[in-house]
Amino acid sequence: MSDSRKEIREDVLTGFSRAANKLRSLWVAWTYSFASIGKDVSVHYTCDLQRSGAPYIKIGNRVMLGREVWLNIPNVSICDRAAIVIGDGCGIGRRSVISAKNQIHIEPNTILGPSVLVMDHNHAFEDVTVPIGQQAMTPGGRIRIEEGCWIGFGAAIICSRGELVIGRGSVVGANSVVIHSVPAHSVAAGNPARIVKEYNPLKKAWMSVTRPHFLREAEFSDTDKKE
Amino acid sequence: MAENCSEQERRPIDYTSQMTMEDPLWWLSRIANKLRTVWLARTYPFVSFGKRTWTRYSLHVTRSGARYISIGEGVGFSRDVVLDVCAGPDTHSPVLILEDGCGLQRRVVISARNRIHIMRNAIFGPSVLMIDHGGDVEGRADSAVCGPQAGGGTIRIEEECWIGFGATIVCKHGDLVIGRHSVVGANSVVTRSIPPYSVVSGDPARIVKQYDFSKGKWVLGCIRPLATAERKLPVVAASLLAES
Repeated sequence: MSDSRKEIREDVLTGFSRAANKLRSLWVAWTYSFASIGKDVSVHYTCDLQRSGAPYIKIGNRVMLGREVWLNIPNVSICDRAAIVIGDGCGIGRRSVISAKNQIHIEPNTILGPSVLVMDHNHAFEDVTVPIGQQAMTPGGRIRIEEGCWIGFGAAIICSRGELVIGRGSVVGANSVVIHSVPAHSVAAGNPARIVKEYNPLKKAWMSVTRPHFLREAEFSDTDKKE
Repeated sequence: MAENCSEQERRPIDYTSQMTMEDPLWWLSRIANKLRTVWLARTYPFVSFGKRTWTRYSLHVTRSGARYISIGEGVGFSRDVVLDVCAGPDTHSPVLILEDGCGLQRRVVISARNRIHIMRNAIFGPSVLMIDHGGDVEGRADSAVCGPQAGGGTIRIEEECWIGFGATIVCKHGDLVIGRHSVVGANSVVTRSIPPYSVVSGDPARIVKQYDFSKGKWVLGCIRPLATAERKLPVVAASLLAES
């Protein structure tokens, strides 16, 4: 709270946008039928939320949704449970897109940087006779971002099948593309993402991985195995 | 649940019908979008502005730039799209062409100087950057990035392509062609042409998958390289142009 007072003292005009945010937060909390919404949720007035998708969204206490955040549920009619779960104290950075068809679970105290994309499905492109935009979505998978993670600027976390878990306390570097699970307490970076650092509990220090390894085989290899 | 793909799901999603029951406040922005679209279509000197094209009030396009932009029918712009044209005074043909049925998601930035041609039904994910001229870092650091001296090439995105979230497509010289029905993965950086029916990803983008017509399925790796060396690129692109 002291921060916001300082902000207002700095420039009185910020009071307008703060008021707009407050009104928007109240409007959303009162009139949208969320599966659950906690206290002290801050929703920026430019956030893009669908009313029809709200019954499938759970938002915890003290969640902050930044400017132009988009929580999207592409096809509400096939949802049967909470598709987007945002735990207590999470912060979603500006311009982030969270698009859930099955489930995206962001556990408490995780922070997403600006421009992050989290998607558990994608466009299907396999049929070469139909334009990609007119094909259906892929069945997709589920994403769980565990407690206390930090997802860097512009990272894309995309799960095309199965379950993608970003382990407790892990860090995803800026502009990385994560398509496989990341173990707990590690730093993943790059496109495609590789583990570059790990926490060593014996030495109680973050150690660089001398030969950064890919998280698993390339994304497309396991489709072929299935076929 | 993840595995079964019901009939209902297979149909393309109709966003407008989904939105009709939405928040009443949403109508405010909807009216603003409508007014902006009508205003753009009526008063801006677009080369063409197709029917059923809808824009958002936050679309960034300049009146002077509109003279070089051609927009087809049923093109969709999400919020905060930037269509930036910096053509020289001697340019007459449209520099930025969006054909029918293209879809641009939020924050797509297209900066055209020579020619960017986006063919039918190509779709763009959020935060895509496409630029056909680059600040020539070598030698001419002082020249304006967006001036007539900036050089650059042309970009053509063929039919039915899908450009993923945050991809960057930069063409500094020659022709960059992204072939029909190709997919560009999230956050990739594309600086070379891509053959038709390919999936590319990474920085720099590499081909990870291609459609094998003899087998009738997508296979790993590159089976139909377009240009083995980057130097050959303009030749191959020219031959492709001749075909189409």
